[in-house]
Amino acid sequence: MYFQDLILSLQKHWAGLGCIIMQPYDLEVGAGTMAPATFLRALGPEPWNVAYVQPSRRPADGRFGENPNRLFQHHQFQVILKPAPKDVQQLYLDSIRAFGIDPLDHDIRFVEDDWESPTLGAWGLGWEVWCDGMEVTQFTYFQQCGGYECKPVSAELTYGLERIAMYLQNVESIFDIEWVKGVKYREVFHANEVEMSRYALQESDPEMLFKLFDLYEAECKRLIDRDNPLPAYDYALKCSHAFNLLDARGAISVTERAAFIKRVRDNARRCAEGYLKLREKLGYPLTRTAWTVGQQPPVLEGKPASEYWKTVQFNVPVEKGV
Amino acid sequence: MPRDLLLEVGAEEIPASFVEPALEDLKRVFTERCQQARLAHGEVRVYGTPRRLALLVRAVADGGQDVRREVSGPSVKAAFDAQGKPTKAAEKFAEGLGLKVEQLKRAQTPKGEYLAATVEDKGRPAPEILKDVLQQAVHSINFKKSMRWGDVELAFARPVHWIVALFGGEIVPVVLGDVRSGRTTAGHRFLSPQPIELKEPGQYADALRQANVVADIPERKKLVSDRVREAAARAGGKLLEDEALVDQVTNLVELPNPVVGSFDERHLDLPPEVLISEMKSHQRYFSVVDGQGKLLPRFIAVSNTPVRDEMLSLRGYERVLRSRLADGRFFFDEDRKVPLASRVEKLKRVVWQGQLGSYADKVERFRQLGDFLARATGLEGLGKTIDRAATLCKADLVTGMVGEFPELQGVMGREYARHDGEAPEVALAIFEHYLPRSAADGLPTQDAGALLGLADRLDTLCGIFGIGKPPTGAADPFGLRRSCLAVINITLARGYRYSLSGAAARALQLLQPRLESVKRKPGDAPVVDQVMEFFRGRLKALWGEEHRTDVVEAVLAAGFDDLVAARKRLQALSQIVGRADFAPLAVAFKRVVNIVEKQGKDVGKGAADANKLTDAAEKDLHRAYTSARGKVTELIRTDDYPGALREITQLKPAVDTFFDKVMVMAEDKELRENRIRFLTEIGSLFNQVADFSKIQAEP
Repeated sequence: MYFQDLILSLQKHWAGLGCIIMQPYDLEVGAGTMAPATFLRALGPEPWNVAYVQPSRRPADGRFGENPNRLFQHHQFQVILKPAPKDVQQLYLDSIRAFGIDPLDHDIRFVEDDWESPTLGAWGLGWEVWCDGMEVTQFTYFQQCGGYECKPVSAELTYGLERIAMYLQNVESIFDIEWVKGVKYREVFHANEVEMSRYALQESDPEMLFKLFDLYEAECKRLIDRDNPLPAYDYALKCSHAFNLLDARGAISVTERAAFIKRVRDNARRCAEGYLKLREKLGYPLTRTAWTVGQQPPVLEGKPASEYWKTVQFNVPVEKGV
Repeated sequence: MPRDLLLEVGAEEIPASFVEPALEDLKRVFTERCQQARLAHGEVRVYGTPRRLALLVRAVADGGQDVRREVSGPSVKAAFDAQGKPTKAAEKFAEGLGLKVEQLKRAQTPKGEYLAATVEDKGRPAPEILKDVLQQAVHSINFKKSMRWGDVELAFARPVHWIVALFGGEIVPVVLGDVRSGRTTAGHRFLSPQPIELKEPGQYADALRQANVVADIPERKKLVSDRVREAAARAGGKLLEDEALVDQVTNLVELPNPVVGSFDERHLDLPPEVLISEMKSHQRYFSVVDGQGKLLPRFIAVSNTPVRDEMLSLRGYERVLRSRLADGRFFFDEDRKVPLASRVEKLKRVVWQGQLGSYADKVERFRQLGDFLARATGLEGLGKTIDRAATLCKADLVTGMVGEFPELQGVMGREYARHDGEAPEVALAIFEHYLPRSAADGLPTQDAGALLGLADRLDTLCGIFGIGKPPTGAADPFGLRRSCLAVINITLARGYRYSLSGAAARALQLLQPRLESVKRKPGDAPVVDQVMEFFRGRLKALWGEEHRTDVVEAVLAAGFDDLVAARKRLQALSQIVGRADFAPLAVAFKRVVNIVEKQGKDVGKGAADANKLTDAAEKDLHRAYTSARGKVTELIRTDDYPGALREITQLKPAVDTFFDKVMVMAEDKELRENRIRFLTEIGSLFNQVADFSKIQAEP
C-alpha cells in the first residue's frame, strides 16, 4: 500500500463514520494535538468528530535526512471523537483492518501509556497500540486540557503514518517509503529534511528566536486581554515553535527549560479559557446538532459529565496532574 | 440452598500493574460487607486479565443470619411512677424497639431490676444483600490512576464494558457508570469475539478457557513461565530468569504465546545490560543465555494472539528490536566519544533536589563524606579510589544511553570509565555505589563502592530530613526507606564499625550551607535525632522479622550507633532469651532498672561509695559486680556478647539476695542515695548489652 493510499484509507474510514475531514493546520506544530481542532475543540460540552493529517515539526529530531527512523517533520493522522464513543476501540481496529493489518495475523495489543503535555496543561490516559511489538498509534482519553477538565471526554487517536507505511511496505528506511507508484518519500522530502535540520540545528539565530518568543508571547497576552482568543492561540503556537527551535539549538539550559515551558502553558491556558468563554457566548452551537460518531451509551448513574459546563466559572482553571 | 456467586467487571485493557491490587480491593470489600450483613459464604477466588476483574464465591447462603440480642432500658424504679403507670422513659424505650411496655421483660442485675427485651435482627435475603455489596465493591476499587470516559462522571482504570453479576442463575442488579449487569461476558478480543452467556457462576473459568482466555492469574503465570522456558530451549539456550517480567507479561495477555526471534549478533558487543534493557523495558521481550550465562542473539516475545502465520508477525518483532538496537549502538558509540570525566561539569546544571542543589553539589558533599567514612572505618588507604569514583559516579546521568535507559545508571558509568582507562577499582566502585538497586539485588563486593554508596545515601537521608520532607505514610518519593535499609545492610555485611550518628552529623555539617535557610518549627527534634529515629524504625522492622520484638527493642534501647555491635548484642540476647532460666533473670534485672528509673533522677550522679555499703548482701553484690564489670568490659571490647551476657547472668543470685535482704529505700538519705547510685551502676552495666526492662517475661 502506498503512503498516499494509507492516508486515503484512513480518511475514508473515518469520513464514513461521520467525521469531518479537516485540513492540516497551517502553522508550525509539534503534534496534531496542538492544532486548534484538537486542543481547543476538546474543551467544553460540544460534540466534535474530526480526522486530519497534521505535518508535525520536531526541530530536535532533525537528522539531516541521515537517520532511517527520525525526521524533522513527520506526519500524524489525528482523529478526535467527542464524546468518545463506547465502541471506539472497535472503530479503531476496523480502521487498521482497512489498511491491511488483521488482528488474526498480527499481535495487536493495547499497552498502558499515560500522556501528558506540560506545554498545553493537558493529560490523559490510554495506550500505545502495538502491532507485533511496534507502536503504531497513540490512543488517549483526554482528561484535562488547558487546565480544564474534559467533560465529556474526547478520544484521541494519533497514527504514526511513516512508521505504519514502513511496516506495510516492509522497508527499513522512511526514505524508501513509496508515496505513490514510482515516487519515494526521499524524492518528496529528503531535501526538506536536510535543509530544515540544517536550519534547526546550525543556522537558526537564537538571539532572534528569543526576541520572537518574547514578541509572540506578548502578542498572545494582548489578544487574550482583548477577548480575541483564536488569534491569541496562533501566537501561543508560534511561541511554542520558537521554544522548540531554541531547544534544538541547545540555547535553553536545563534550569531555564521549566520556566519557558510554564510561559507557553500559561498562555495556552488563557487561550483555553478565552475559547470557552467564546463558545459559551455563542451558546455552544454544536450541542444543538445531533452529531455523533459510533455508539453513544446512556448515562445510568449520576448526571451527564457535560452538564458541568452549566456551572463552571471561567476565571479559575483547576490545576491537576501537571 | 447456598448458591455460587460471580462478579466480573469487563473493561478496556487495564494497566498490568493495576490488576492484582484491584482484585485485592474487590475481595476485601466483598468479604467485609458480607460479614457486616452476616451473609455466610464459602471460598472467595479472584480472576483477572487485562480485560476483566472477577470474583467467584462458593456457597453463598440464602440470606443473612438472624441474631438475637438482649437490650436493657431504664431501671424499673424509673420506668413506673407511684401509680404503677409507665413513665415517659419506659414508653420511649419500648417505642424505640417497636414494642409496647407490657411486652417488655424485666432483668435482674446487681444494680437492681431493669426493663429489658430480646430483639431479633432478621437477616435480609441474599439477593438484596448482594445487590448492595456488589454495588459497593465495584465502586470501591482504588486504582493508582483512574479516568473518566464518554459523558459519565464515574472514574475507573479504563472504560467499563460489561458486568456479569450472577447469584446462582439469577442476575444481581449492579450499575457502574454507563453499564448495567447481566450474564454476558466476552472471550479473547480477536479469537473469540462472540458474546458468551453464562448460566451459572461455576462455569466461568471453563467457559473463558473455551473462549481462549486463561482467567486464573497463577495458572496464566505458570503458563507464561513454562512456555517462555520451552521457547528458550527451542532457541538453543536457556531463559534469563526475570520474575518481574513474568509478572508483568502475565497481566498483559489473556492467552500467552511465546515467539522466538533473533537479532544481529554483531550487537553482542554492546554491554549485556544494554541489550537486556532494550529488550525488556521497551518491548517486554525475554533474553536468552547460553550455558555460561552469556547472551545469545535471541529473544522471546510473548504475544496475546496465536497468529495464523508466525513468521509474518515475527518480522515485526525483529524489526522493532533492530531499530532499538541501532539506537542503542548509536548512543553507545556517541557517548564514548567524550570521556566521562569531561561530563562532570554538566552535573552542575542537573538539579538533584531544588533546595539541596545540583548533582554536582551532591557529589561534592558525598565525596567528602566518603573520605570521612573511609577514615572512620580504618580504610583511609582507599582515599584516592573513593575520591575519583565519587567524582565520576554520577557523570553517566548526562550520557545519551542513561537518558534513554535510566535503569542503566552505574552500568554505563562503569563501562565508560573502563573505556576511558580509569582504574578497574574506580570503574567497579562507580557501578557498586548504586547497589543494592532493589530488594533482590546484590550488595557491593568492594569497599570503595560500599563506602561511596553509604555516603551518597546518608547525604540523601540527612538532606531530605534536613529540608523537612521525611516520608509520610505510603509516600516516600526519595526512596528514603530503601536508602536507610541499604545503609544498614551494607554496614552489617561489610562489618563496618563507625558511629552512625557521627556520620550523620558529618553529612549534616556538609549540608549546612543548604540547610541554613530552612525554617524549623520550635518543637522539632534536631535533624540528626530524626534521622536516627528513622533508622530505629527500619531496624525494628528489619530485625523484627527474625527476632522477638521485645528483644529487638531492648537491644535498640541500649543504642545502635555501632550497627555491627548492635546486631551482635541482638544475636547474643536472642540466644539466651528463650531459655527457661532467663525469665527469672529478666525479672531480677527489671527490678534494678525500675528502681533506678523511679528514684535515680533525684539522686546526684557519680559512683557509689563502696565504703558506705553496710549490709553483707550489698557488699557481696558489690564484690560480684566489681569483678563482673571488669570482665564484661573486656568481653564487650572483644565483641564477645554471649560471654558478656554470661557474666551478667552470673550476678543474678547476688541481685536476688540483695533485694531479699536489703532495704534500698532506707530512712537514712545518704545510705539510700548511695544504694541507688550502686544500682544505677549495675543497671548501666546491663545497659551495655540491652535494656532488660523491655523484655517480656512471657512473650
